[in-house]
Amino acid sequence: MTTLQTSTPLAIEPLDLPARPAASPARAALRQFLRSPSGVIGLCLLIVLVLGTAVGPILYPVDPLDLVGGPFTPPSADAWLGTDYLGRDVLAGLIYGGRATLTVGAVAALITIAIGLTVGALSGFFGGAVDAILVKLTEFFQILPPLLFAMVLVTLFGQKLTTITLAIGAVSWTSAARLTRAEFMRLRNLDFVKAARTAGAGNAHLILRVLLPNALPPVIVSATLAIGVAILFEGGLSFLGLGDPNVMSWGLMLGQNRNYVLDAWWAVTFPGAAIFLAVLAISLVGDGINDAANPRLRRRT
Amino acid sequence: MAFAIHLVRQIANAVALLLAVLVLNFCLIHLAPGDPVQVIAGEMGGASADVVAALRAKYGLDHSLAEQLFTYLGNIAHGDFGYSYYFNEPVLGLIAQRLPATLYLTLCALVMSVIIGTLLGITSARRPNGIFSHTVTVFSLAGYAAPIFWTGLLLLLLFGSVWPILPVVGMTDVVHPKQGFSYIVDVARHLVLPALTLALVFIAQYSRLARVNMIEALSADYIRTARAKGLPEWLVIGKHALRNTLIPIVTVVGLQFGNLFAGAVLVETVFSWPGMGRLVFDSILRRDYPTLMAVLFFSAMMVMAANIVTDIVYRLIDPRIRTGRP
Repeated sequence: MTTLQTSTPLAIEPLDLPARPAASPARAALRQFLRSPSGVIGLCLLIVLVLGTAVGPILYPVDPLDLVGGPFTPPSADAWLGTDYLGRDVLAGLIYGGRATLTVGAVAALITIAIGLTVGALSGFFGGAVDAILVKLTEFFQILPPLLFAMVLVTLFGQKLTTITLAIGAVSWTSAARLTRAEFMRLRNLDFVKAARTAGAGNAHLILRVLLPNALPPVIVSATLAIGVAILFEGGLSFLGLGDPNVMSWGLMLGQNRNYVLDAWWAVTFPGAAIFLAVLAISLVGDGINDAANPRLRRRT
Repeated sequence: MAFAIHLVRQIANAVALLLAVLVLNFCLIHLAPGDPVQVIAGEMGGASADVVAALRAKYGLDHSLAEQLFTYLGNIAHGDFGYSYYFNEPVLGLIAQRLPATLYLTLCALVMSVIIGTLLGITSARRPNGIFSHTVTVFSLAGYAAPIFWTGLLLLLLFGSVWPILPVVGMTDVVHPKQGFSYIVDVARHLVLPALTLALVFIAQYSRLARVNMIEALSADYIRTARAKGLPEWLVIGKHALRNTLIPIVTVVGLQFGNLFAGAVLVETVFSWPGMGRLVFDSILRRDYPTLMAVLFFSAMMVMAANIVTDIVYRLIDPRIRTGRP
């Protein structure tokens, strides 16, 4: 290791500094993540699923809404995973349905986190009356079972994919809000925040540039898990007959074929398995991010 | 005494929140696209012109919004949650008929999941790197990710056609009605699959939670003290460590009661359990809004009740809360 060139010999050996420049926090976190087996397995699984829905149509060009054969055709060379109660191809449904389901999951999770972050940050930062009002609001949303609330919203405002996504986002933000609030309250009185305030930082600057970046790690974990929850919700709503009938999705496949489970096991087993794998992949990735973001917690479990 | 005051405050808070749910329902009726009458009557209820006029008068739809809200709340104070034009019955009666079966299923699943989840968690915490512990971890990951309605359908498929040893439909044997003790056995047999399906998700979560907390508790000083003074191992775990393992589980049970209830609705539609699930399913199909909103209200009420019970259980488990000492 070539280090300092000095004319006089040093009394102490120079510190054994790392050869590489100190890794940025993001890169260090990435390295931690890749060291977590569950994170890596989950990420691989997720990549396979996303790739499958992305390039699937090229490899298996069948329209998911077309009637390709008789209803309830078992898996065969023509329809690899069989056909559903109308004679639509199940594999094509999985490929195209995955696009809708994964998109609903991601967008609904974004909405969840956006609302949760806003409510939690304002509540934790300002405290006092603002906090009291927002905590009551959170408490109010918490007593409404999210799935049933989303169900009422979708029946009233229409069975469209956008309504479903918005409804899922609107009902499931409470835990993100509580988490953000707790983080903000913890950080609010720490020295670096006081220092920034003394240096003349305004509230907006403090919230967005000082507190938010430090509160993010646990919120990112909960955002990841929120995608899984949203996917389960899309399935649950469709299962209750509240899917968007014009857009193929994994939930819709399950919801429409549920009554024929004894006639055509493949039409419900495969879409359910797809949801299962997607949620599993996402929660594994969440575990991995958790390990990377909170190395302290890792030792405890 | 302090507890009585606390309890009264809790109940007052619950009543206020439930009132807020009613206001929310009222707002939703008016925010929804279309005429509020349509919402109140249910889209496919086939409300005739007479009915529509009667509803207009009853809900004061020609008056100001504030007056309408008071009329709405007044009706509910008299137990009038609206009329289901699809079922041709007052909504309150419909709910009262279905609620017991749902509660029965929910509570059975709750007890099952808390007991089995805690036991799995504790056992796997004894040897955190053993095979059993890893199995429990994998199981809890899978249990969390598996959609409840899908697990239900798979079990229905398994026990409905492959291995028919358990009934998969309804709550009782309709073909051969039973009496007395065999009736109880009959209901219990019908309950196994729905309750198991519902419990699996929560067993998965509670076992994970119990495992983490048990591992932490076992490394605490008071456990070392308990062992050092020669307490038998089952007492160390069953009494000292268990208390601190149960506290977070009680918290989560309270927080998740709404999910448990919603899960029950999904499971009921799979196994034709005669509770709220079928009611919800039919109401969605017929756009029977009053029923759906009443279901939302009563589920919020269940959650509130569960929260109050959680609070009491807390005090039983954790003496620190009882005495107010840190």
